[in-house]
Amino acid sequence: MRRQSKVIGTLAVLPAFLVVFSFMAFPIGFAIYISFTKTNGLTYEWRGLDNYAAVFVDPIVYQVLLNNLKFMVSIPLVIFVALVAAVLLFERFKGWKFFRIIFFLPNVLSVAVIGLIFRNAFSFDGAVNQLIVISGGEPVQFFIDANYSIWIIILALVWSGFGYQALLLLAGLTAINTSVFEAAAIDGAGWWRRLFSITLPNIRKVLGFVFIINVLYTFGGIFGFIFVITAGGPGFETTTIDFLSYLRAFSSNNLGSGAALAVLLSIFIGLLTLAQAKAFKLQKED
Amino acid sequence: MSEEISTRLNAKARTPIFLGMVLLALTIIYPLVFIILTALRPNVDYLRDPFGLPSVWTFDNFIELWQDYGVGRAFLNSLFVASTSVSIVLVLASLAGYALAKLPVFAPKFFTASFVSVMLFPGVVLIIPIYLMLARLGIVGNYAGLILVYVATALPFATFFLTLAFRAIPDELLEAARVDGAGFFQTVWLIVRPIGAPGIATLAVLQFLGAWNELIYAMILITDDRMKLLTPVLASIGKRFVTDQPLVSAGLFITALVPLLLLAFASKYIMRGLQVGISR
Repeated sequence: MRRQSKVIGTLAVLPAFLVVFSFMAFPIGFAIYISFTKTNGLTYEWRGLDNYAAVFVDPIVYQVLLNNLKFMVSIPLVIFVALVAAVLLFERFKGWKFFRIIFFLPNVLSVAVIGLIFRNAFSFDGAVNQLIVISGGEPVQFFIDANYSIWIIILALVWSGFGYQALLLLAGLTAINTSVFEAAAIDGAGWWRRLFSITLPNIRKVLGFVFIINVLYTFGGIFGFIFVITAGGPGFETTTIDFLSYLRAFSSNNLGSGAALAVLLSIFIGLLTLAQAKAFKLQKED
Repeated sequence: MSEEISTRLNAKARTPIFLGMVLLALTIIYPLVFIILTALRPNVDYLRDPFGLPSVWTFDNFIELWQDYGVGRAFLNSLFVASTSVSIVLVLASLAGYALAKLPVFAPKFFTASFVSVMLFPGVVLIIPIYLMLARLGIVGNYAGLILVYVATALPFATFFLTLAFRAIPDELLEAARVDGAGFFQTVWLIVRPIGAPGIATLAVLQFLGAWNELIYAMILITDDRMKLLTPVLASIGKRFVTDQPLVSAGLFITALVPLLLLAFASKYIMRGLQVGISR
Protein backbone atom coordinates (compact mmCIF):
# COMPACT_ATOMS: atom_id res chain seq x y z
CA MET A 1 0.00 0.00 0.00
CA ARG A 2 2.65 2.43 1.10
CA ARG A 3 4.94 1.50 -1.78
CA GLN A 4 2.14 1.88 -4.26
CA SER A 5 1.29 5.39 -3.11
CA LYS A 6 4.96 6.36 -3.42
CA VAL A 7 4.64 5.48 -7.10
CA ILE A 8 1.51 7.59 -7.41
CA GLY A 9 3.16 10.58 -5.72
CA THR A 10 6.19 10.35 -7.96
CA LEU A 11 4.06 10.04 -11.08
CA ALA A 12 2.19 13.19 -10.00
CA VAL A 13 5.42 15.20 -9.71
CA LEU A 14 6.85 13.84 -12.95
CA PRO A 15 4.93 15.89 -15.56
CA ALA A 16 5.95 19.20 -13.94
CA PHE A 17 9.50 17.93 -13.49
CA LEU A 18 9.80 16.81 -17.11
CA VAL A 19 8.60 20.14 -18.48
CA VAL A 20 10.97 22.06 -16.20
CA PHE A 21 13.80 19.71 -17.07
CA SER A 22 13.26 19.92 -20.84
CA PHE A 23 12.63 23.64 -21.08
CA MET A 24 14.75 25.04 -18.26
CA ALA A 25 17.41 22.65 -16.95
CA PHE A 26 18.35 21.22 -20.33
CA PRO A 27 18.51 24.65 -22.05
CA ILE A 28 20.85 25.88 -19.30
CA GLY A 29 23.18 22.98 -20.07
CA PHE A 30 22.75 23.60 -23.78
CA ALA A 31 23.66 27.28 -23.29
CA ILE A 32 26.93 26.21 -21.70
CA TYR A 33 27.63 23.93 -24.68
CA ILE A 34 26.77 26.69 -27.17
CA SER A 35 29.14 29.04 -25.37
CA PHE A 36 32.05 26.74 -26.34
CA THR A 37 31.14 26.71 -30.01
CA LYS A 38 30.87 28.96 -33.03
CA THR A 39 27.37 28.43 -34.33
CA ASN A 40 24.71 29.92 -36.54
CA GLY A 41 22.14 27.54 -35.05
CA LEU A 42 22.60 24.86 -37.70
CA THR A 43 26.21 23.78 -37.41
CA TYR A 44 28.26 23.81 -34.23
CA GLU A 45 32.00 24.22 -34.48
CA TRP A 46 33.88 23.49 -31.24
CA ARG A 47 35.95 26.50 -30.24
CA GLY A 48 36.93 25.69 -26.67
CA LEU A 49 37.34 28.85 -24.62
CA ASP A 50 37.61 31.20 -27.63
CA ASN A 51 34.26 32.92 -26.99
CA TYR A 52 35.21 33.54 -23.36
CA ALA A 53 38.64 34.84 -24.30
CA ALA A 54 36.98 37.20 -26.78
CA VAL A 55 34.63 38.50 -24.06
CA PHE A 56 37.54 39.46 -21.81
CA VAL A 57 39.38 41.48 -24.46
CA ASP A 58 36.24 43.13 -25.87
CA PRO A 59 36.22 46.88 -25.04
CA ILE A 60 32.44 47.01 -25.58
CA VAL A 61 31.94 44.45 -22.79
CA TYR A 62 33.79 46.74 -20.37
CA GLN A 63 31.82 49.78 -21.51
CA VAL A 64 28.59 47.84 -21.04
CA LEU A 65 29.66 46.57 -17.61
CA LEU A 66 30.22 50.18 -16.64
CA ASN A 67 26.62 50.88 -17.71
CA ASN A 68 25.43 48.15 -15.34
CA LEU A 69 27.28 49.94 -12.56
CA LYS A 70 25.70 53.26 -13.58
CA PHE A 71 22.25 51.71 -13.35
CA MET A 72 23.04 50.81 -9.75
CA VAL A 73 22.40 54.49 -8.98
CA SER A 74 18.74 53.50 -9.11
CA ILE A 75 19.18 51.28 -6.03
CA PRO A 76 19.54 53.92 -3.28
CA LEU A 77 16.86 56.00 -5.01
CA VAL A 78 14.28 53.24 -5.21
CA ILE A 79 15.02 52.06 -1.66
CA PHE A 80 14.66 55.60 -0.35
CA VAL A 81 11.28 56.12 -2.03
CA ALA A 82 10.14 52.64 -0.95
CA LEU A 83 11.20 53.37 2.62
CA VAL A 84 9.28 56.64 2.66
CA ALA A 85 6.21 54.89 1.28
CA ALA A 86 6.54 52.02 3.78
CA VAL A 87 6.94 54.31 6.80
CA LEU A 88 3.93 56.35 5.66
CA LEU A 89 1.84 53.22 5.10
CA PHE A 90 2.88 51.91 8.51
CA GLU A 91 1.00 54.79 10.14
CA ARG A 92 -2.08 52.82 9.08
CA PHE A 93 -4.32 55.81 8.74
CA LYS A 94 -7.65 55.60 7.00
CA GLY A 95 -7.32 54.45 3.41
CA TRP A 96 -3.80 53.04 3.69
CA LYS A 97 -4.91 49.87 1.94
CA PHE A 98 -6.01 51.88 -1.06
CA PHE A 99 -2.65 53.64 -1.22
CA ARG A 100 -0.91 50.29 -0.93
CA ILE A 101 -2.67 49.09 -4.06
CA ILE A 102 -1.91 52.33 -5.93
CA PHE A 103 1.79 52.10 -5.08
CA PHE A 104 1.79 48.51 -6.24
CA LEU A 105 0.01 49.32 -9.50
CA PRO A 106 3.07 49.61 -11.82
CA ASN A 107 4.02 46.06 -10.85
CA VAL A 108 1.06 44.57 -12.68
CA LEU A 109 1.90 46.44 -15.90
CA SER A 110 3.97 44.96 -18.70
CA VAL A 111 7.50 46.19 -19.20
CA ALA A 112 6.26 47.08 -22.69
CA VAL A 113 3.71 49.45 -21.16
CA ILE A 114 6.02 51.02 -18.57
CA GLY A 115 8.85 51.35 -21.09
CA LEU A 116 6.59 53.03 -23.65
CA ILE A 117 5.13 55.41 -21.07
CA PHE A 118 8.64 56.72 -20.38
CA ARG A 119 9.76 56.56 -24.00
CA ASN A 120 6.70 58.57 -24.99
CA ALA A 121 6.93 61.07 -22.17
CA PHE A 122 10.51 61.94 -23.13
CA SER A 123 10.14 61.69 -26.91
CA PHE A 124 10.59 64.84 -29.01
CA ASP A 125 6.83 65.49 -29.12
CA GLY A 126 6.29 63.99 -25.69
CA ALA A 127 4.75 65.43 -22.57
CA VAL A 128 8.04 66.53 -21.00
CA ASN A 129 9.09 68.51 -24.06
CA GLN A 130 5.62 70.03 -24.33
CA LEU A 131 6.04 71.18 -20.75
CA ILE A 132 9.47 72.63 -21.56
CA VAL A 133 8.06 74.48 -24.56
CA ILE A 134 5.13 75.84 -22.56
CA SER A 135 7.52 77.20 -19.96
CA GLY A 136 9.52 78.89 -22.71
CA GLY A 137 12.37 76.44 -23.31
CA GLU A 138 13.64 74.58 -26.35
CA PRO A 139 12.63 70.92 -26.79
CA VAL A 140 15.40 68.44 -25.98
CA GLN A 141 16.34 65.30 -27.94
CA PHE A 142 16.60 63.23 -24.78
CA PHE A 143 17.48 59.93 -26.41
CA ILE A 144 20.45 61.30 -28.35
CA ASP A 145 22.26 62.13 -25.12
CA ALA A 146 23.45 59.13 -23.12
CA ASN A 147 23.25 60.99 -19.79
CA TYR A 148 19.56 61.75 -20.28
CA SER A 149 18.85 58.24 -21.56
CA ILE A 150 20.36 56.57 -18.52
CA TRP A 151 18.42 58.81 -16.16
CA ILE A 152 15.17 58.14 -17.98
CA ILE A 153 15.68 54.39 -17.52
CA ILE A 154 16.61 54.91 -13.86
CA LEU A 155 13.45 56.96 -13.39
CA ALA A 156 11.40 54.16 -14.93
CA LEU A 157 13.05 51.65 -12.58
CA VAL A 158 12.28 53.76 -9.51
CA TRP A 159 8.71 54.51 -10.61
CA SER A 160 7.84 50.92 -11.30
CA GLY A 161 9.85 49.31 -8.50
CA PHE A 162 9.25 51.26 -5.33
CA GLY A 163 5.73 49.98 -4.63
CA TYR A 164 6.65 46.32 -4.41
CA GLN A 165 9.71 47.08 -2.31
CA ALA A 166 7.63 49.30 -0.02
CA LEU A 167 5.40 46.28 0.62
CA LEU A 168 8.45 44.14 1.45
CA LEU A 169 9.64 46.82 3.89
CA LEU A 170 6.14 47.20 5.31
CA ALA A 171 6.09 43.47 6.06
CA GLY A 172 9.35 43.99 7.94
CA LEU A 173 7.92 46.93 9.90
CA THR A 174 4.81 44.97 10.79
CA ALA A 175 6.99 42.23 12.27
CA ILE A 176 8.53 44.60 14.85
CA ASN A 177 7.20 43.97 18.33
CA THR A 178 4.90 46.92 19.09
CA SER A 179 5.83 46.94 22.77
CA VAL A 180 9.25 48.30 21.75
CA PHE A 181 7.54 51.36 20.29
CA GLU A 182 5.30 51.78 23.32
CA ALA A 183 8.24 51.56 25.72
CA ALA A 184 10.11 54.20 23.73
CA ALA A 185 7.03 56.42 23.63
CA ILE A 186 6.67 56.17 27.40
CA ASP A 187 10.32 57.18 27.70
CA GLY A 188 9.41 60.28 25.72
CA ALA A 189 11.02 59.43 22.40
CA GLY A 190 9.31 61.40 19.63
CA TRP A 191 8.22 60.07 16.24
CA TRP A 192 11.45 60.97 14.41
CA ARG A 193 13.57 59.66 17.24
CA ARG A 194 11.68 56.35 17.17
CA LEU A 195 12.05 56.22 13.38
CA PHE A 196 15.84 56.41 13.51
CA SER A 197 16.58 54.51 16.70
CA ILE A 198 13.96 51.77 16.56
CA THR A 199 12.13 51.45 13.26
CA LEU A 200 15.06 51.54 10.84
CA PRO A 201 17.51 49.41 12.87
CA ASN A 202 14.81 46.80 13.29
CA ILE A 203 14.28 46.34 9.59
CA ARG A 204 17.95 46.27 8.57
CA LYS A 205 17.59 42.60 7.54
CA VAL A 206 14.73 43.39 5.20
CA LEU A 207 16.66 46.40 3.92
CA GLY A 208 19.61 44.11 3.20
CA PHE A 209 17.32 41.70 1.37
CA VAL A 210 15.78 44.50 -0.69
CA PHE A 211 19.26 45.77 -1.52
CA ILE A 212 20.32 42.37 -2.82
CA ILE A 213 17.23 41.83 -4.97
CA ASN A 214 17.88 45.26 -6.45
CA VAL A 215 21.46 44.35 -7.31
CA LEU A 216 20.31 41.10 -8.92
CA TYR A 217 17.65 43.03 -10.81
CA THR A 218 20.10 45.62 -12.09
CA PHE A 219 22.26 42.86 -13.59
CA GLY A 220 19.67 40.41 -14.82
CA GLY A 221 16.27 42.03 -14.98
CA ILE A 222 16.23 45.36 -16.78
CA PHE A 223 16.62 43.93 -20.26
CA GLY A 224 13.00 44.68 -21.15
CA PHE A 225 13.13 48.30 -20.00
CA ILE A 226 16.22 48.96 -22.07
CA PHE A 227 14.82 47.18 -25.08
CA VAL A 228 11.66 49.30 -25.09
CA ILE A 229 13.00 52.68 -23.94
CA THR A 230 16.36 53.10 -25.69
CA ALA A 231 17.14 49.79 -27.47
CA GLY A 232 20.56 50.15 -25.82
CA GLY A 233 21.40 53.43 -27.53
CA PRO A 234 22.74 55.92 -28.27
CA GLY A 235 25.53 53.60 -29.42
CA PHE A 236 26.03 51.12 -26.58
CA GLU A 237 25.59 53.82 -23.95
CA THR A 238 22.56 52.24 -22.25
CA THR A 239 23.28 48.60 -23.16
CA THR A 240 23.68 46.25 -20.20
CA ILE A 241 25.36 42.82 -20.15
CA ASP A 242 22.12 40.88 -20.54
CA PHE A 243 20.99 43.09 -23.42
CA LEU A 244 24.41 42.80 -25.08
CA SER A 245 24.13 39.01 -24.87
CA TYR A 246 20.82 39.24 -26.70
CA LEU A 247 22.21 41.66 -29.31
CA ARG A 248 25.24 39.45 -29.93
CA ALA A 249 23.10 36.36 -30.30
CA PHE A 250 20.49 37.72 -32.66
CA SER A 251 22.35 40.30 -34.69
CA SER A 252 25.55 38.43 -35.45
CA ASN A 253 25.93 34.97 -36.95
CA ASN A 254 27.71 33.67 -33.87
CA LEU A 255 25.27 32.77 -31.11
CA GLY A 256 28.20 31.32 -29.17
CA SER A 257 29.54 34.69 -28.10
CA GLY A 258 26.10 35.75 -26.81
CA ALA A 259 25.83 32.48 -24.91
CA ALA A 260 29.28 32.98 -23.36
CA LEU A 261 28.19 36.38 -22.04
CA ALA A 262 24.95 34.92 -20.67
CA VAL A 263 26.83 32.10 -18.93
CA LEU A 264 29.30 34.52 -17.34
CA LEU A 265 26.40 36.67 -16.17
CA SER A 266 24.70 33.60 -14.66
CA ILE A 267 27.85 32.68 -12.77
CA PHE A 268 28.11 36.21 -11.44
CA ILE A 269 24.45 36.28 -10.39
CA GLY A 270 24.78 32.80 -8.87
CA LEU A 271 27.72 33.97 -6.75
CA LEU A 272 25.75 37.03 -5.65
CA THR A 273 22.80 34.86 -4.67
CA LEU A 274 25.05 32.53 -2.67
CA ALA A 275 26.67 35.50 -0.93
CA GLN A 276 23.17 36.74 -0.10
CA ALA A 277 22.13 33.37 1.32
CA LYS A 278 25.30 33.29 3.42
CA ALA A 279 24.82 36.84 4.69
CA PHE A 280 21.28 35.97 5.75
CA LYS A 281 22.36 32.83 7.58
CA LEU A 282 24.95 34.86 9.48
CA GLN A 283 22.32 37.41 10.45
CA LYS A 284 19.92 34.75 11.63
CA GLU A 285 22.55 33.43 13.99
CA ASP A 286 23.06 36.72 15.78
CA MET B 1 -3.80 56.59 29.96
CA SER B 2 -3.14 54.11 27.20
CA GLU B 3 -4.15 56.72 24.67
CA GLU B 4 -1.42 59.03 25.85
CA ILE B 5 1.31 56.55 25.10
CA SER B 6 -0.07 55.82 21.66
CA THR B 7 2.81 55.34 19.24
CA ARG B 8 0.77 56.80 16.43
CA LEU B 9 1.07 60.41 15.47
CA ASN B 10 -1.58 62.87 16.55
CA ALA B 11 -4.04 64.21 14.01
CA LYS B 12 -2.09 67.39 13.34
CA ALA B 13 1.17 65.63 12.64
CA ARG B 14 -0.55 63.17 10.36
CA THR B 15 -1.57 65.79 7.83
CA PRO B 16 1.89 66.03 6.23
CA ILE B 17 2.06 62.26 6.12
CA PHE B 18 -1.24 62.07 4.36
CA LEU B 19 -0.08 64.73 1.90
CA GLY B 20 3.13 62.76 1.30
CA MET B 21 1.09 59.69 0.47
CA VAL B 22 -1.16 61.62 -1.87
CA LEU B 23 1.85 63.12 -3.64
CA LEU B 24 3.47 59.72 -4.08
CA ALA B 25 0.21 58.25 -5.31
CA LEU B 26 -0.20 61.10 -7.80
CA THR B 27 3.13 60.27 -9.46
CA ILE B 28 1.53 56.96 -10.37
CA ILE B 29 -2.05 58.05 -11.04
CA TYR B 30 -1.31 61.18 -13.05
CA PRO B 31 0.61 59.46 -15.90
CA LEU B 32 -2.21 56.93 -16.21
CA VAL B 33 -4.92 59.59 -16.29
CA PHE B 34 -2.84 61.53 -18.81
CA ILE B 35 -2.67 58.43 -21.03
CA ILE B 36 -6.40 57.80 -20.83
CA LEU B 37 -7.23 61.44 -21.67
CA THR B 38 -4.70 61.48 -24.52
CA ALA B 39 -6.07 58.24 -25.93
CA LEU B 40 -9.53 59.80 -26.14
CA ARG B 41 -8.60 62.78 -28.36
CA PRO B 42 -7.39 63.37 -31.94
CA ASN B 43 -3.70 64.12 -32.46
CA VAL B 44 -4.37 67.72 -33.59
CA ASP B 45 -6.24 68.41 -30.41
CA TYR B 46 -3.48 66.83 -28.32
CA LEU B 47 -0.74 68.87 -29.99
CA ARG B 48 -2.64 72.12 -29.42
CA ASP B 49 -2.95 71.69 -25.67
CA PRO B 50 -1.45 68.43 -24.37
CA PHE B 51 -2.11 69.09 -20.70
CA GLY B 52 -5.63 70.45 -20.96
CA LEU B 53 -8.79 68.42 -21.20
CA PRO B 54 -9.65 67.24 -24.72
CA SER B 55 -11.88 69.67 -26.62
CA VAL B 56 -12.89 66.81 -28.91
CA TRP B 57 -13.60 63.38 -27.44
CA THR B 58 -13.24 60.39 -29.75
CA PHE B 59 -12.80 56.62 -29.82
CA ASP B 60 -11.12 56.79 -33.24
CA ASN B 61 -7.68 55.91 -31.87
CA PHE B 62 -9.04 52.72 -30.37
CA ILE B 63 -11.02 51.80 -33.47
CA GLU B 64 -8.06 52.48 -35.75
CA LEU B 65 -5.68 50.40 -33.64
CA TRP B 66 -8.11 47.57 -33.11
CA GLN B 67 -9.06 47.22 -36.79
CA ASP B 68 -6.15 48.52 -38.87
CA TYR B 69 -3.06 47.76 -36.81
CA GLY B 70 -3.89 44.25 -35.66
CA VAL B 71 -4.38 45.16 -32.00
CA GLY B 72 -7.76 43.42 -31.80
CA ARG B 73 -6.33 40.17 -33.11
CA ALA B 74 -3.23 40.52 -30.90
CA PHE B 75 -5.47 41.07 -27.86
CA LEU B 76 -7.31 37.81 -28.53
CA ASN B 77 -4.04 35.98 -29.25
CA SER B 78 -2.63 37.14 -25.91
CA LEU B 79 -5.80 36.11 -24.14
CA PHE B 80 -5.55 32.65 -25.69
CA VAL B 81 -1.85 32.12 -24.95
CA ALA B 82 -2.08 33.48 -21.39
CA SER B 83 -5.16 31.44 -20.43
CA THR B 84 -3.86 28.24 -22.01
CA SER B 85 -0.48 28.47 -20.31
CA VAL B 86 -2.05 29.37 -16.96
CA SER B 87 -4.41 26.37 -17.18
CA ILE B 88 -1.55 24.00 -17.91
CA VAL B 89 0.55 25.48 -15.10
CA LEU B 90 -2.34 25.09 -12.64
CA VAL B 91 -2.91 21.43 -13.52
CA LEU B 92 0.76 20.41 -13.46
CA ALA B 93 1.64 22.46 -10.38
CA SER B 94 -1.44 21.21 -8.48
CA LEU B 95 -0.51 17.59 -9.11
CA ALA B 96 3.15 18.13 -8.21
CA GLY B 97 2.34 20.42 -5.28
CA TYR B 98 -0.17 17.96 -3.80
CA ALA B 99 2.25 15.06 -4.16
CA LEU B 100 5.15 16.98 -2.61
CA ALA B 101 2.97 18.31 0.22
CA LYS B 102 1.01 15.19 1.13
CA LEU B 103 2.17 12.02 -0.59
CA PRO B 104 5.26 9.88 -0.22
CA VAL B 105 7.47 10.55 -3.24
CA PHE B 106 10.73 8.97 -4.38
CA ALA B 107 13.60 11.39 -3.65
CA PRO B 108 11.39 14.39 -2.81
CA LYS B 109 14.49 16.47 -2.02
CA PHE B 110 15.81 15.89 -5.53
CA PHE B 111 12.63 17.28 -7.06
CA THR B 112 12.41 20.27 -4.73
CA ALA B 113 16.08 21.03 -5.22
CA SER B 114 15.72 20.91 -9.02
CA PHE B 115 12.78 23.30 -8.94
CA VAL B 116 14.62 25.71 -6.64
CA SER B 117 17.96 25.61 -8.45
CA VAL B 118 16.58 26.48 -11.90
CA MET B 119 14.93 29.53 -10.35
CA LEU B 120 18.37 30.93 -9.50
CA PHE B 121 19.39 31.44 -13.14
CA PRO B 122 18.76 34.79 -14.84
CA GLY B 123 16.21 34.59 -17.64
CA VAL B 124 18.63 35.77 -20.30
CA VAL B 125 20.63 32.53 -20.23
CA LEU B 126 17.57 30.66 -21.52
CA ILE B 127 16.82 32.83 -24.55
CA ILE B 128 19.47 31.51 -26.94
CA PRO B 129 19.20 27.78 -26.20
CA ILE B 130 15.40 27.86 -26.15
CA TYR B 131 15.30 29.62 -29.48
CA LEU B 132 17.68 27.06 -31.02
CA MET B 133 15.85 24.09 -29.43
CA LEU B 134 12.45 25.21 -30.62
CA ALA B 135 13.87 25.94 -34.06
CA ARG B 136 15.25 22.39 -34.16
CA LEU B 137 11.87 20.99 -33.04
CA GLY B 138 10.20 23.11 -35.71
CA ILE B 139 7.97 24.96 -33.26
CA VAL B 140 9.31 28.49 -33.60
CA GLY B 141 6.51 30.67 -34.88
CA ASN B 142 3.98 28.40 -33.27
CA TYR B 143 2.01 28.89 -30.03
CA ALA B 144 2.94 25.41 -28.76
CA GLY B 145 6.56 26.46 -28.31
CA LEU B 146 5.72 29.76 -26.64
CA ILE B 147 3.19 28.17 -24.30
CA LEU B 148 5.69 25.46 -23.33
CA VAL B 149 8.25 28.14 -22.49
CA TYR B 150 5.72 30.08 -20.37
CA VAL B 151 4.65 26.89 -18.59
CA ALA B 152 8.22 25.76 -17.93
CA THR B 153 9.44 29.11 -16.61
CA ALA B 154 6.36 29.45 -14.37
CA LEU B 155 6.31 25.90 -12.97
CA PRO B 156 9.16 26.03 -10.42
CA PHE B 157 7.59 28.91 -8.48
CA ALA B 158 4.07 27.57 -9.03
CA THR B 159 4.95 24.15 -7.64
CA PHE B 160 6.75 25.67 -4.68
CA PHE B 161 3.78 27.97 -4.02
CA LEU B 162 1.15 25.23 -4.17
CA THR B 163 3.25 22.82 -2.10
CA LEU B 164 3.16 25.41 0.69
CA ALA B 165 -0.55 26.09 0.18
CA PHE B 166 -1.56 22.40 0.15
CA ARG B 167 0.37 21.60 3.34
CA ALA B 168 -2.47 23.30 5.21
CA ILE B 169 -5.02 20.73 4.03
CA PRO B 170 -5.97 18.59 7.07
CA ASP B 171 -4.62 15.04 6.84
CA GLU B 172 -7.84 13.66 8.39
CA LEU B 173 -9.81 14.78 5.34
CA LEU B 174 -7.43 13.02 2.97
CA GLU B 175 -7.46 9.94 5.16
CA ALA B 176 -11.27 9.94 5.22
CA ALA B 177 -11.32 10.18 1.44
CA ARG B 178 -8.92 7.24 1.22
CA VAL B 179 -11.09 5.15 3.55
CA ASP B 180 -14.10 5.99 1.39
CA GLY B 181 -12.18 4.55 -1.53
CA ALA B 182 -11.40 7.78 -3.38
CA GLY B 183 -8.58 7.40 -5.91
CA PHE B 184 -5.81 9.89 -6.58
CA PHE B 185 -7.64 12.06 -9.11
CA GLN B 186 -10.88 11.96 -7.11
CA THR B 187 -9.02 13.18 -4.03
CA VAL B 188 -7.36 15.96 -5.98
CA TRP B 189 -10.62 17.07 -7.55
CA LEU B 190 -12.96 16.68 -4.56
CA ILE B 191 -10.69 17.73 -1.67
CA VAL B 192 -7.45 19.40 -2.75
CA ARG B 193 -9.07 21.63 -5.38
CA PRO B 194 -11.85 23.14 -3.22
CA ILE B 195 -9.76 23.46 -0.04
CA GLY B 196 -6.72 24.76 -1.89
CA ALA B 197 -8.88 27.14 -3.97
CA PRO B 198 -7.56 30.41 -2.48
CA GLY B 199 -3.96 29.38 -3.21
CA ILE B 200 -4.86 28.18 -6.69
CA ALA B 201 -6.71 31.44 -7.42
CA THR B 202 -3.75 33.52 -6.25
CA LEU B 203 -1.42 31.53 -8.45
CA ALA B 204 -3.78 31.82 -11.42
CA VAL B 205 -3.84 35.61 -11.15
CA LEU B 206 -0.07 35.94 -10.75
CA GLN B 207 0.69 33.59 -13.65
CA PHE B 208 -1.88 35.22 -15.90
CA LEU B 209 -0.26 38.60 -15.27
CA GLY B 210 3.15 37.12 -16.01
CA ALA B 211 2.10 35.58 -19.31
CA TRP B 212 0.02 38.57 -20.42
CA ASN B 213 2.87 41.01 -19.74
CA GLU B 214 5.75 38.97 -21.16
CA LEU B 215 7.55 40.68 -24.03
CA ILE B 216 10.84 39.07 -25.02
CA TYR B 217 9.83 35.47 -25.81
CA ALA B 218 6.59 36.66 -27.39
CA MET B 219 8.70 38.80 -29.69
CA ILE B 220 11.40 36.26 -30.55
CA LEU B 221 9.29 33.13 -30.87
CA ILE B 222 6.29 34.42 -32.82
CA THR B 223 7.20 35.84 -36.21
CA ASP B 224 3.94 35.66 -38.17
CA ASP B 225 2.12 39.03 -38.04
CA ARG B 226 -1.29 37.42 -37.67
CA MET B 227 -0.15 35.44 -34.64
CA LYS B 228 1.67 38.21 -32.78
CA LEU B 229 0.79 38.83 -29.15
CA LEU B 230 -0.24 42.18 -27.72
CA THR B 231 3.02 43.29 -26.04
CA PRO B 232 5.26 43.03 -29.17
CA VAL B 233 2.54 44.68 -31.27
CA LEU B 234 2.36 47.53 -28.75
CA ALA B 235 6.15 47.90 -28.71
CA SER B 236 6.30 48.17 -32.49
CA ILE B 237 3.38 50.62 -32.62
CA GLY B 238 5.21 52.72 -30.05
CA LYS B 239 8.26 52.83 -32.29
CA ARG B 240 6.35 53.49 -35.53
CA PHE B 241 4.06 56.26 -34.32
CA VAL B 242 6.24 58.37 -32.05
CA THR B 243 4.59 61.49 -33.46
CA ASP B 244 1.05 60.27 -32.80
CA GLN B 245 0.87 60.17 -29.01
CA PRO B 246 -2.93 59.66 -28.83
CA LEU B 247 -2.68 56.52 -30.96
CA VAL B 248 0.15 55.08 -28.84
CA SER B 249 -1.70 56.02 -25.66
CA ALA B 250 -4.73 54.06 -26.84
CA GLY B 251 -2.44 51.05 -27.35
CA LEU B 252 -1.01 51.50 -23.86
CA PHE B 253 -4.50 51.66 -22.43
CA ILE B 254 -5.62 48.49 -24.20
CA THR B 255 -2.55 46.56 -23.04
CA ALA B 256 -2.77 47.82 -19.45
CA LEU B 257 -6.52 47.31 -19.17
CA VAL B 258 -6.56 43.59 -18.36
CA PRO B 259 -3.88 43.79 -15.61
CA LEU B 260 -5.56 46.86 -14.12
CA LEU B 261 -8.93 45.10 -14.03
CA LEU B 262 -7.27 42.12 -12.35
CA LEU B 263 -5.68 44.42 -9.79
CA ALA B 264 -9.00 46.13 -9.16
CA PHE B 265 -11.00 42.94 -8.69
CA ALA B 266 -8.42 40.42 -7.49
CA SER B 267 -6.09 42.60 -5.42
CA LYS B 268 -6.79 40.31 -2.46
CA TYR B 269 -5.21 37.40 -4.32
CA ILE B 270 -2.30 39.45 -5.66
CA MET B 271 -1.42 40.75 -2.20
CA ARG B 272 -1.68 37.27 -0.72
CA GLY B 273 0.70 35.97 -3.39
CA LEU B 274 3.18 38.64 -2.34
CA GLN B 275 3.17 37.47 1.26
CA VAL B 276 4.39 34.05 0.12
CA GLY B 277 6.99 35.66 -2.10
CA ILE B 278 8.22 37.60 0.94
CA SER B 279 8.38 34.67 3.34
CA ARG B 280 10.48 32.85 0.79
